[in-house]
Amino acid sequence: MTAWTDSAGGRRARAILTSRPFLTLAIVVAVWIAASFASRGFGAYGHLRYLVELGAVIGLVAAGQTFVVIAGGIDLSVAAIVTVSAISLPLLSWQADPTGLASVLAVLALTTAIGVINGLGVALLRVHPMIMTLAMATFLQGLLIIIAGGSAVTAENLLVHWLGNARPAGIPAGILLWIAVSVLVLTLMHATPFGARIFAMGANPLAASLSGVPITSTTLAVYGISGFTAGLAGVLVLGMNGQGYVGIGDPYLLASIAAVVLGGTSILGGLGTYAGTIPGAILLVTITALITVVNASPGWRSILFGSLILGLLLLSGRERARR
Amino acid sequence: MSIIPSARADGALYWQVQARRNIGVRSLFLVVLAFLIAYAVLFPGLFTVSGFAKFTQSWFPLALVAMAQAILMLTGGISLAIGATVSLGAVIAATTMAGPLGVPGGAAAVALAGLGIGAATGFIVVRLRLPAIVVTLAGSFIIGGAALLVLPRPGGAVPAWLSDLLAGDTPAAFVLLMAIVLLWKLYLATPLGLSLYAAGENPVGAYRSGVPVDAARVAAYAISGLLSTGAGLFVAAQTGSGDPVIGNAFTLNSIAAAVLGGIGFLGGQGTMRGALAGSLLLSLMISVMFFLGFTPVAQYVAQGLIIIGAVAIPQFRKVQQ
Repeated sequence: MTAWTDSAGGRRARAILTSRPFLTLAIVVAVWIAASFASRGFGAYGHLRYLVELGAVIGLVAAGQTFVVIAGGIDLSVAAIVTVSAISLPLLSWQADPTGLASVLAVLALTTAIGVINGLGVALLRVHPMIMTLAMATFLQGLLIIIAGGSAVTAENLLVHWLGNARPAGIPAGILLWIAVSVLVLTLMHATPFGARIFAMGANPLAASLSGVPITSTTLAVYGISGFTAGLAGVLVLGMNGQGYVGIGDPYLLASIAAVVLGGTSILGGLGTYAGTIPGAILLVTITALITVVNASPGWRSILFGSLILGLLLLSGRERARR
Repeated sequence: MSIIPSARADGALYWQVQARRNIGVRSLFLVVLAFLIAYAVLFPGLFTVSGFAKFTQSWFPLALVAMAQAILMLTGGISLAIGATVSLGAVIAATTMAGPLGVPGGAAAVALAGLGIGAATGFIVVRLRLPAIVVTLAGSFIIGGAALLVLPRPGGAVPAWLSDLLAGDTPAAFVLLMAIVLLWKLYLATPLGLSLYAAGENPVGAYRSGVPVDAARVAAYAISGLLSTGAGLFVAAQTGSGDPVIGNAFTLNSIAAAVLGGIGFLGGQGTMRGALAGSLLLSLMISVMFFLGFTPVAQYVAQGLIIIGAVAIPQFRKVQQ
């Protein structure tokens, strides 16, 4: 009996140790240790905390992206939605709203609605997700310039300011927000019928539909979640920056997709977990920080970034062979 | 020996097949025609030689990148690095052609860069089995970085005679495009070209039937790279200099043109004439909006709406039936 439990426990431990999320986490730790030897100050607690705080923005955007990718789609409008959130929030401030909570909720409702429109296009009009979300990004880009007129807007919102700057118990509020969202996302993904439906839909939409998965409403929900988390990331990035401007969200498109794929989620859908995306996001900011340390020209920095992502993909993103 | 059809019957069959392949894009051709008429009304100069030349010149680079994207999508791939590759082609042309290499050497460098980048991307995607969308997204950073290394800020020069030849008052761009279409037809008749559709439609079946699936897909990436840097060369000739970020908009536009032209994302579906018509529609749309006095911002909004509409309506009708 004891031997049986031991071997089951051993098997379980081995499964965790060889899983994609753990592999990504191991790479992060290895890079952190190597970098702290190579560059003084990299391994300091304050610096690592700052890296995780930056990773929180990517992690939030990538949370919705993970849902969409597992469901067999892709959301190329997240960067535009982050910008929409960071620009419309300062414009939406009311006198009757001293804490700023109402305007934050209004903005999150707006970005969720944008996501749901993406879902409507994908589910009802049958537009390919890539085209639907790219066209949405183009559309929002035009709309933003009309609204903001190309100038930066400053946020005077207490809640947003607190999110970007406060440190309850020494931990930045952004990281706390990320932890809360992560717990919610992991529960939703792995412990609810909704989560099971997403995996079924991504693995085989026809089989899922025939088995009674409501494809339309699930698709709407998945893109809605992506709009919501991208909006949340916009609020956080606005709090950290103090100002919103057109293009503030641009870096987060590639970052969210890369974090999802580096975390072991298949870009083809049906396979993956947000538990891998979390270390994936931290890995990305670590790479960016390392490249900044190297102090190269913009061209070399861009080449290094692309090559490192490509190299990491070889470790974790390969598809099966065709036979 | 009666199984070998006579040359005459063979020809008839060829046109029958070609006509059937037009069915999916017939409504697109009508829309393009409507936009062409609108363009001709707004801009009567279209019917002069120089007006026609200018019109084809604004279409030409978009047509090339649409072909570059379409050939990948036919094999089941995709590239998000088209824009960066166009930029690289432009800066290579602008830095080499005025130098000791001259125009032939510069053109060879542009072509080699395109073929090399495409083949390398294809090798990574096909042989190392990485998802194309992520590889090309990462590739866009590498290629864009290389363009910044070649030319950190806008500059360089293309010989004036080349600019006049390609982007002057002669319809050289149109002649070039026709030559490229002819080459595409010839390529489809080669073993690799024949494998293209099979490799996209059903890779496993094609592989088991002895079709060189991997070679066809790597070749498609190489040709796509060549077309992209070629578009960059043309853009450099148009503007007379190089700019390391000039190609960025082509990534979205190439996908939009190919999808408007009826190319499917899953591979094996669609025709190159559809992709060309899609690129022509996009180019006409941008010109017509410009003539109507839309601000660039309103153009973004309209372009987003039109692309969704054009893609959604045929799909919607299919679902209704």
